[in-house]
Amino acid sequence: MKLTTKQLTLCALLAAMALALSYLENLFPLSLAIPIPGVKLGLANIVTVFALYALGLGEACFILLARCFLGALFAGNLNALIFSLLGALSAMGAMALLSRRRGLSIYGVSIGGAAAHNCGQAAAAVLTLGSAAPLYYLPVLLAVSLLTGGLTGLASACLFQGLRHTDLMKG
Amino acid sequence: MKRPLPKLRPTAWDGLVVLCVAALAVALAAFQWQGGSSQGLTAVVSIDGAEADRFALQDLLKSPRTYTASGYTLEVAAALRGDASPLDHVKSNGELGLQVAHSDCPTQDCVRIGAITRSGQSIVCLPARFILRLEGGTPDPDSVDAVLG
Repeated sequence: MKLTTKQLTLCALLAAMALALSYLENLFPLSLAIPIPGVKLGLANIVTVFALYALGLGEACFILLARCFLGALFAGNLNALIFSLLGALSAMGAMALLSRRRGLSIYGVSIGGAAAHNCGQAAAAVLTLGSAAPLYYLPVLLAVSLLTGGLTGLASACLFQGLRHTDLMKG
Repeated sequence: MKRPLPKLRPTAWDGLVVLCVAALAVALAAFQWQGGSSQGLTAVVSIDGAEADRFALQDLLKSPRTYTASGYTLEVAAALRGDASPLDHVKSNGELGLQVAHSDCPTQDCVRIGAITRSGQSIVCLPARFILRLEGGTPDPDSVDAVLG
């Protein structure tokens, strides 16, 4: 994959924004209302959805991997890397497939991504803990993903609406 | 490769995605959340994927138990879900269970999730790599086995 300077700069900016959003959502801990391991808003998914449509799958994966590795490095918690990697890659895989379906809007793609993210994180918890116990929470996590996926879908729709007339969306 | 820009208003196909996710959640819940027994339960503690302790739920009434896992300390104590009777001679209406009463882990999800009272239920603390699970039990005498006719 060969990137122009403009594309590389855009990828770096989006990776930084995704990292900032990951930290920002710590200010709104959804787990206070729903005390289940892994419950979160998934604000960084807005950047992933945007990158997938505006830049392409390769660039979106590049941003996603940068966010996961840098996030684990800055948090000083490499154990968390497997959770963020499996969750993020599952979400990306689901959204890449769903975005090919012309009938789906950004809401359907975002909700599918949020659900896949929770499945990926539950799989990471099962692998890390060596027990199927974390799957006990998966039904609640999936139900929550309908809400969080809808919210990130709404935020992404607003973003695309706002940037519709810019050079960014015209390539 | 760029994709065509997305539709920005919800479509009927989005409803299908919502239905699929909801159906998966319901199917998993039906499979995993079958009403377990609340009598004669055994608590199993796993730390780092290995069983660290196993005790009868009644034993916890004597004193809470403390565990150290991945550098964090968790205290497991007996808990009552439901109505407790203030009178000694009147049986409480609630179910005896257990909870993580205190933990110094950063997320505190294990404490906030509250009490578990039935077999098959578990409390997971990811930072401590700690799992508390209820197992076994005898059939609930008040439960209905089958309804005929």
